[in-house]
Amino acid sequence: MDSAFAHRNPDASAFEDGPLRGVRIAIQPNLSVAGWPTDAGSGALAGFTALEDATIVRRLRRAGATLCGATRMSEFGFGLRGSQAGVALQQQAADAELVLDLMGESRLAAWRAGVCGFKPSYGLVSRFGLVGLIPSMECCGLLSENLHAIRDILNTIAGPDELDFSLPEGETPDFPPRPMDPRATTLGTVTEAQRGLSPEQEGRFRASLDALARAGFSLRNLSMPDFDLFPVAHRIIGSVEASSCAGRYDSVRYGRRAPGARNWNDMYLLSRGAAFGPLLKGYLIQGAFFQFERYDAYEDACRIRARLLAEAARLTSEADFLVLPATDGAGVGAPASLAETYAQFAATAFANVVGQPVLGLPPPAGAVSSGIQLVGPRLSDARLLALGEQVLNLRK
Amino acid sequence: MEYEAVVGLEIHVELNCATKMFCDCPNRPGDEPNANTCPVCLWFPGAIPRFSQEALEKASLLCLGLGGELQPRSAFDQKVYYYPDLPKGYQLSQAHLPLSRGGGIDILDDSGKPKTLRIRHVHMEEDVAKLVHEMEGRVPVSLVDFNRAGAPLVEIVTEPDFRTPHEAMEFLKALRTQVRSVGSSDCSMENGTMRVDANISVRPRGTEQMATKVEVKNMNSIRHVGDAIVHEISRQSACLQAGEPVVLHTRLWDPDKKVTLPMRAKFEGPCVPDPTVPVIELSREWIDRMRSRLPEMPARRAQRLVAQHGLTPEEAGFLSAEADVAGFFEALTREGVAPRTAMHWLATQLLPAVKERGQELSRSPVTAPRLAALLRMLSRDEINANAARDVLLRLFDTDESPETIVGARGFRQVSDPSALDALIETVLAAHPAAIADVRRGQAKAMGFLIGQVMQASHGKANPKKVRDLLASRLDAPLNPAGQNAVEP
Repeated sequence: MDSAFAHRNPDASAFEDGPLRGVRIAIQPNLSVAGWPTDAGSGALAGFTALEDATIVRRLRRAGATLCGATRMSEFGFGLRGSQAGVALQQQAADAELVLDLMGESRLAAWRAGVCGFKPSYGLVSRFGLVGLIPSMECCGLLSENLHAIRDILNTIAGPDELDFSLPEGETPDFPPRPMDPRATTLGTVTEAQRGLSPEQEGRFRASLDALARAGFSLRNLSMPDFDLFPVAHRIIGSVEASSCAGRYDSVRYGRRAPGARNWNDMYLLSRGAAFGPLLKGYLIQGAFFQFERYDAYEDACRIRARLLAEAARLTSEADFLVLPATDGAGVGAPASLAETYAQFAATAFANVVGQPVLGLPPPAGAVSSGIQLVGPRLSDARLLALGEQVLNLRK
Repeated sequence: MEYEAVVGLEIHVELNCATKMFCDCPNRPGDEPNANTCPVCLWFPGAIPRFSQEALEKASLLCLGLGGELQPRSAFDQKVYYYPDLPKGYQLSQAHLPLSRGGGIDILDDSGKPKTLRIRHVHMEEDVAKLVHEMEGRVPVSLVDFNRAGAPLVEIVTEPDFRTPHEAMEFLKALRTQVRSVGSSDCSMENGTMRVDANISVRPRGTEQMATKVEVKNMNSIRHVGDAIVHEISRQSACLQAGEPVVLHTRLWDPDKKVTLPMRAKFEGPCVPDPTVPVIELSREWIDRMRSRLPEMPARRAQRLVAQHGLTPEEAGFLSAEADVAGFFEALTREGVAPRTAMHWLATQLLPAVKERGQELSRSPVTAPRLAALLRMLSRDEINANAARDVLLRLFDTDESPETIVGARGFRQVSDPSALDALIETVLAAHPAAIADVRRGQAKAMGFLIGQVMQASHGKANPKKVRDLLASRLDAPLNPAGQNAVEP
C-alpha cells in the first residue's frame, strides 16, 4: 500500500512554543502551506504550489503544532475515492488530521479508521487558503482518537478572520464550555434518520441510545418528514457551486495545458477535459446542466434548503442535541458513480446543508452498540465536544 | 409608415474608491500593467473575496443621489461566462437582488417639456481584466492586464423610457452631474469611468408593441451616444420598411464612419447566487446615515439659488452643474457680494482665468474671500472695473491681499475733483468739436470725452465722477442711459 502521505514536510520541527507544541497534525493538499504542492488531489491543479499560508495553517504554526505533511485526498475532497484520510492516525504517524468535509467525508473517514471525526459550524473556521469546491457547504473537519486534541486544535483555529467574512459579526464561539449535566440535557432522535438502517444496524443504534439513557440523558423522539431531501438539495446546490468554483481551472496559470489547441476556447475544452477525473467531471457537468438548462430546479433546491435550515433549527430547539446513526465504517468503499457516492453520504450530508456542527463517534471497541453522530445548534461547537467527552467517558 | 424609437440605457460607472471591490489592491487601472494584483483579484486557488465597505458606501451614495430606494437586502451573483478577461469563469454582479431599485432623472424633452426618465435599478459589480491585442513581429498576441480586474463598478439600468437621442443625451449629462456631486465617480466617458450601452428598438408610432432590441456599445462620448441612436433608428426603420426582421444582437459604434457594425450574437449566461460574499443587509439607521452624507443635489440647489438670490434658471443651472462653482458663488454672497455681481465675475472673469491656467477652482489661489475683498472695493468705488480685472489676474501670482495690491500698485480710483479737473481741462482743450456735440445733446460725444479722460488717467479715474464733472462743466443733461456705459 502507498504511503498515506502525498507530501511529507521536509522540516517537521515546530518553530513556536504554544498550546499545540508536540501535536503532530497531518493536513490535506487543499490547505495552502507556502511552498507546498497544493493540488487538492486534482490534475487541474497539477504542479501548483501555494503562495501563502492558509489562516488555519498560520494559526496552527503560531500555536506550536507540527505539520507532518499532506495526506492523499480524493479529487477536491469530494467523496472518499482515492482518499487516505485517517490512515496516518492508524499508523500513528499523526495525532490529528484535518480533512475537508463537503458532505460527511471527515466523519466517514473517522468511522473507517475507528476514531472521532468533527465538522465545525459553518464559518467558525476560516476558509482563507482552503482550495474548495462547494463554498456554502464545505468546512475543514478534524480527525483524532482524542477529543481533547480536537478541542485544542479547534480552539486554536476557530474564530473571526479578517481574510474571510464567513463568520458574521457578533457571532462568537462559546469557548470555554460549561460542564455537561446529563440530567439537564435532552437528546433528540429523528425517526426519519433511522429509516435506512438494517434491522441489525437498528439494534446496535438502539443499544447506543439505551446506554445514553442509562447515563441519565433524557431522550426525546422527534420527527422531520423531509429528512430524505438533504442529499437531494446537497446534490443540486453542491454541483452548481462546484461548477462555478471549478470554472477557474483553465490550465492557463497552473495545471497541465493540453496540446493541439487551435485557439483559447479549444485550449480550455481540451485541458479541462483532461484535467478532471470521471467522478468530478460528472459532478461539474451536472452543475452546468442546472446552471444553463434547469435554473428553475436549482432555485427550487435553494428554497428547499431554506426550509430544511428552519426545520433543523427547530429540531435543535426541541432538544439540546440530536443523536443520529453513523454509517457503518467497515462498509466504506470508494464508489465511482455520483449516485453511489451520494448514497454513501445519505446519513451525513444534512450537517453540510444546514451548517450545524456535528461530531462523529466510533462504536465502542467490541461492543454491540454502533457509532453515532451528535449534532448541536450552530456555534455550539464547544458544548458539543464537551458532550462527546462525556459520552466517551461512559464507555470506560 | 412612421416609426418611433424605444431606448433604454445601461450605464457602467467606475467608483473612485481607493481599493478594488473584493481585495485591498489599489484601484488604479492605469498603472503599469499587472502592478495592482493579488491572489484574490487574480483568483488563485484558496482566495476569498472580501467586500469593500468603501465600495458599498460610494455605490449607496450614488443610488441615493439618483433618487433610488436602497434595498434592505441585496446579494452578489455569479454571472457565468468563459473568456480570457475573466479567469475565474464568472463575474461577481447583482443579478437577482440589486442594491437599489427605482429613482430617475428629470430632463426637458425635445419640445422643452419636463419629462422624468425612470431608473429600474442600480446594481454593483466587479470589472474584468483588460485585454490588449498586439503584434509580436508577425504573430498576433493578446495580453491580459489585471489592474482593472475587480475594480468597483455600478451598473445603472433605466426603464425603456427614451424616445429620442436628445433625451438620452440630456439624461446622461444630468446623470454625470449628479454622480459627480455625490463624489462617487468622475463619470468620464473619455477615460472609460462611464460606459454606456444603449438598447434600441423601433416600432410603428402610436403602437405599444415590444420590438426586438439591438444593443449598441463602444460610444466614448455623450455625443456618440446620440449619433449611434440616430443611426440605429434609421437603420432599423429601413429594415422594417424592407420587411426584414430585426435580430437580437450586439453592435459596435464606429465613431469614424458614424455607423454601428454587428459584433456578436448576444450571449446571456446563467446567474447563480454567489456563496462566498455574504448577503448585504442594510439597516434603516445605516441608510439614514448615508442619506445625511448626501450633498444638496444640483437640481434642488438650482431651485434654491433662483429663490434665494434672484438668479435666472439658466444662471442657477450653470452654477449648480459643478458643486465647486455653486459653492464658490455662495461663499461670495456670504462675504457680502451682491448675487448678480458674484455671478457675473465668476462666469466671465474667474472661471475663464482658472481654465486658462489649467487649474481647478477648488485649488485656485483666488479664494472666495480674496475675490470678495476685491469686489467689495469695486462696489465702494475705491477701484473701477478695469482695475478690478487687472488686480484679479494678479491674485493668481501673489499671496498679497487685494487691498495691498491696489494700494501698492496705484490702482486706487481717482475721485478727487481737483485732480480730475486738471485732466478734464486738458481733454476739453484738445476736443472742441466733441464739446459742441455734447451741447447739442449727443450722448455718444459724452461717452467719447469720458473715454479720453479715463485714458489720460491711465484707467484710474472714477468714471461716474468724471461724467458728473463733465456734465456740470458743459451744462449738459445727465443721460440716464449713459449709466450703462459703466461696468457694474
